[in-house]
Amino acid sequence: MIEFRGVSKTYPGSEKPVVNDLSFEVPDGEICVLVGPSGCGKTTSMRMVNRLIEITEGEILIDGETNTSLSGTQLRRKIGYAIQQIGLFPHRTIAVNIGTVPKLLGWDKNRIKNRVDELLDTVGLAPDDYRDRYPAELSGGQQQRVGVARALAADPPIMLMDEPFGAVDPITRVGLQDEFLRIQKDIKKTIVFVTHDIDEAIKMGDKIAILKQGGVLAQYDTPANILARPDSEFVSSFVGGDRVLKRLSLTRVGEMDLERANGGTDDLLRINGGLTVKDALSELIGSGHTRAVVEKDGENGLLTFEAIEDLMGGTSDEDSNGGESSE
Amino acid sequence: MSNPALLLLQDVLEEPKLIDWEWIKENFWEDIVPALQGHIFLSFISIGIALIIALPVGVLSARYRKAYPPVTAVTGALYSIPSLALLAILISIPGVAIGPSPVIIALVAYSLLILIRNTVAGLDSVPPETIDAARGMGLTNRQILFRVELPLALPIIVAGIRIATVTIIGIATIGAYINGGGLGTLIFDGIGRQFPTMIISGAVLATALAIVADLLLLALERYLRPWARARRT
Repeated sequence: MIEFRGVSKTYPGSEKPVVNDLSFEVPDGEICVLVGPSGCGKTTSMRMVNRLIEITEGEILIDGETNTSLSGTQLRRKIGYAIQQIGLFPHRTIAVNIGTVPKLLGWDKNRIKNRVDELLDTVGLAPDDYRDRYPAELSGGQQQRVGVARALAADPPIMLMDEPFGAVDPITRVGLQDEFLRIQKDIKKTIVFVTHDIDEAIKMGDKIAILKQGGVLAQYDTPANILARPDSEFVSSFVGGDRVLKRLSLTRVGEMDLERANGGTDDLLRINGGLTVKDALSELIGSGHTRAVVEKDGENGLLTFEAIEDLMGGTSDEDSNGGESSE
Repeated sequence: MSNPALLLLQDVLEEPKLIDWEWIKENFWEDIVPALQGHIFLSFISIGIALIIALPVGVLSARYRKAYPPVTAVTGALYSIPSLALLAILISIPGVAIGPSPVIIALVAYSLLILIRNTVAGLDSVPPETIDAARGMGLTNRQILFRVELPLALPIIVAGIRIATVTIIGIATIGAYINGGGLGTLIFDGIGRQFPTMIISGAVLATALAIVADLLLLALERYLRPWARARRT
């Protein structure tokens, strides 16, 4: 568990703090996304966890112990670190790059080699093809996979990720996000994840901390709660006018409680249960249908506009006055 | 046929022969090889000493940016002194004897600017995100310098060593003027005796030495940079 307790950062010669009295907890095995406009101190907050930036006031506890109890370098070797620009060592092979922290920790050669191959497998790069290559020979997406593998190398319980999928095209990014969520299901790391992209925050976060200018925490909650009940105008405008639609992207149609379709479904639109409700709704409207069939556990469910409204749990009232146009 | 006048004419015609291979054969081991050895010795020692000074000064200048302008000012001033004048100044200093040492001091002084500048430029060329990632993974400052920054700066540092070496091999010929040894002795003696063969052998060997040294350093640079070879394929 990572605990921020009244954490502030003020740079010398400046009156205004860049991070102001930040307090929240990241429970074990969860991804906490720090999100906000540029200048909100999200990266600074993350970098104070492994003390790349030192705290001015307050403290950060890791599993109940203050992060100043170890030296900076000792601490950082226990925390995975992945950044947008990746920062692979261009003069080292992929295997050496991934093995950096294990080597610092004094693992023996065989153990490092096995770990490197295991991680290359995990991130979907064939070890035999990639371990002896240099970073410049890899595409941007492959480099980001290596960056994540390198952060995971010594199996640290905690990871810091600063826009780790930011340097690739949108399609590759979605692929990397999905893959990382799949990996996270197994490895259950406690992660502080920084992004400026609210959609990425909603997708990746178990919790989202929205920060505003001056490093003030605006809201800290689950994505669903933040979308359903933004507690300030800043948050509701930051998550965007389409927050209702965004909520739809939190659920997959296969997970909905759907009325069973009884016969006569042959001419209805068929929708894959793996789609998000948002995508399904888009397909429904786009095809001119009002109902569609979703196959789930061998049964056919009936997806209707009413079913989608039910899912949103009577938020239609709130929607009429809760969008960005409010106030 | 054996007209004495004709023979005399032949002698006169033969005298300004540019290259007297006989002389080269006879004096190869006695004059030419020692001069070449002396030249290699002067150049290598000078580059070696210059590197020992320039690398730490370059690293410190890159770290403490305020130190960099004065460092370039001093080394730049040294670089701009004409070589003959610098030698004259050096041998006029009490305690500095005529011979190789003032030559070495001068050569070191000439190469410092290039070596320090390229060390700083090399360190500046290291991507900041690479250093950030290294620090974020828990490398110490010393590990970052030796395992990340210097290896990545190496191509530019070696490029500086190449320029400095070629420059030094050229300037070292002047060292013979103050009995510093090297290929310059052949050139100065040749001028004194009006004997072109000596001048040419000195000049050709100095040029060849510069080219060979440059190619060897280029090969070294390639060898030390396997990752750049990979990029091209």
